[in-house]
Amino acid sequence: MKEKLILLVDDDRELLELLRSVFERAGYRRLLTAVSGREALELWREKKPDLIVLDVMMPGMDGFSVLREIRRGSRVPVLMLSARSEAEDRIAGLECGADDYLPKPFLPKELLLRVGAILWRAYPERHRTAKLAAATVDLERAEVRRGEERLPLTARELLLFEKLYENAGRIVTTGILCETVCGEFWQGYETTLSTHIRHLREKIEEHPSKPVSLVTVKGLGYRLNLKEEGL
Amino acid sequence: MNGARRFFRRYIVSTVGILALFLAVNGLLILWVFAAGSRERIAETFSIKELSSHISCENGVWAADGAVSDLLEQQDAWAMILDETGAVVWERNLPENLPRRYTAAEVASFSRWYLEDYPVKVWGREDGCLTVAGFPPGTWVKYYYAVDRIYLDRLLLGVRLLFFVNLGMFLFFLLRNTRRVEKAVTPVLWGIQELAAGRFCRLEERGELGEVKAGLNRAADCLKKKDNTRAEWIRGVSHDIRTPLSMVLGYASELEENEALPPGARKQAGIIRFQGERMRSLVDSLNLTTRLEYALYPLRLERLDPVELGRQAVSGLLNGGLPERYKVEFSWLCPGETAGFTGDRDLLLRMLENLLGNCVAHNPQGCRIVLSVGLEKGRWVFLLSDDGTGMSRERLQAQNRGEDGFVSREGGGGEHGLGLKIVRQIARAHGGTVRLEPADPHGLTVRVELPAEGESR
Repeated sequence: MKEKLILLVDDDRELLELLRSVFERAGYRRLLTAVSGREALELWREKKPDLIVLDVMMPGMDGFSVLREIRRGSRVPVLMLSARSEAEDRIAGLECGADDYLPKPFLPKELLLRVGAILWRAYPERHRTAKLAAATVDLERAEVRRGEERLPLTARELLLFEKLYENAGRIVTTGILCETVCGEFWQGYETTLSTHIRHLREKIEEHPSKPVSLVTVKGLGYRLNLKEEGL
Repeated sequence: MNGARRFFRRYIVSTVGILALFLAVNGLLILWVFAAGSRERIAETFSIKELSSHISCENGVWAADGAVSDLLEQQDAWAMILDETGAVVWERNLPENLPRRYTAAEVASFSRWYLEDYPVKVWGREDGCLTVAGFPPGTWVKYYYAVDRIYLDRLLLGVRLLFFVNLGMFLFFLLRNTRRVEKAVTPVLWGIQELAAGRFCRLEERGELGEVKAGLNRAADCLKKKDNTRAEWIRGVSHDIRTPLSMVLGYASELEENEALPPGARKQAGIIRFQGERMRSLVDSLNLTTRLEYALYPLRLERLDPVELGRQAVSGLLNGGLPERYKVEFSWLCPGETAGFTGDRDLLLRMLENLLGNCVAHNPQGCRIVLSVGLEKGRWVFLLSDDGTGMSRERLQAQNRGEDGFVSREGGGGEHGLGLKIVRQIARAHGGTVRLEPADPHGLTVRVELPAEGESR
């Protein structure tokens, strides 16, 4: 992911310098910078960056206008960066087609995590595998490998596992997991979720009754513990 | 509104009371006038019967005792006795110009009216004679009034009817006018109450009090403009501070993680970064509380599951990397029991995050935190308890009265105190309430109640 071409756009040169420094320190080597909306559009047309970090409030052409122009012909991931922190601004940004919206002031780590997550979603690894204590899950093939054994995952088990894998090491609430597998109207689905989780454990845990990889967090939801960090 | 109604009810009661008092006083005055008049009346002080009893006839000779003279002198009156033929058989002080003999017609006439302008009283004696007493002209009035019974009955009925119709009309117009005044004044009073509560309303500038309503509208506009200016100013400042603060946070983080720097310098950079984060939190809170205060935050209402909201808030806190000295639990009161709920997800999550964050910030030594969510009497209840240092009784009472302090708990120097204010504002925006109570044996319990769907907000 670190070899991706990233375009940083902000009219404040000092902040732009800081962004460049943050990305360079994090290992990103291919960086482009622009101090105006028009310059950003020119660079996007010429260089075709893999991700754009775009400031909203810029003189002349603002970030929303730039994004709308980009979205006419491209789905390149865009993270909006703005001093406008209100929810309606965030929603406006997302409605314009932004992949994420980070209000200023932000911590460099926060920015890098979000950029990493966007890149991970936009450019998934060809062979995504999750290494667990007792098994390895191949997300592309939707199968669990336990030694020589190959256990296929059902579509819903795969959806569940992907959600847990995206948030590995973090608690994912029952509601979010239910919503992942059955959409917006998930109420009353908790019992079915428990069944899916049980089946999943039977495939990925050595002792499903004493899980170590897919653990229950009482009252809240579940957490997937990876053997190694997959991100 | 209740105050206005109470005022008008009191006004009506007092007016009816005044009317009753008016009637009572008038009745008493009339009685007094009649009583006083009757005491002064000649009829009360002079009795023709008594006069007649003091005059007697023995063997054809008429004689009167001393009382007769006294009675007549008191009234400056005269007296005479007529026999059956109409001849004067006895007289005392009888004016010279009066005849000494009267026909039956003359007797009939003066006994009802006057004798040569002298008002007279007559008394038929047992011996068949007639005692006549005359008084100076103008001392009293005689009139004869004859009316048929049906007419008199109707007249009396009419008087009673007149009284009650007048009373009824008076009460009707009193209530009607009071109602009209109430209708005209109530919106004005309501507008004043709304302004006093910091809410802005627009009154229809019609009716007799249109000018007053227009004045109130102008006052509301003026206050709203001031509030908006203040909110915009805070918003502008919070906006302008964001970019410089990004650089403070960014470079401080860079320095903090720069292994080439000496540990002391990296520690100092860490302090700058931490203080920058506090400033960011303050700016965010200030901006949010201002927008909620001045109703500039448009609520994005959607159907929500409060239990899931609670789970997400607790998970967020745990996922943020909470030190082990804190134990956080979540419980669903009465599992399975549920009811619809609509609210603004972001705001409600912020409310729970503030409450959870408060428990952590004010108990640096660590504590057990429990968030319980459930339905109670048709209302969703979020109950957040910790077994930390808690809050003094005075501050609890102040918080429950809605007073906002800038230090919300003892020993909590790390917070700016807007947290609980924002919690209250968010609960209020959802038609809910917040109550703080001491936890047993120590710590704090915050109870947030929000109306379930179908409950009036």
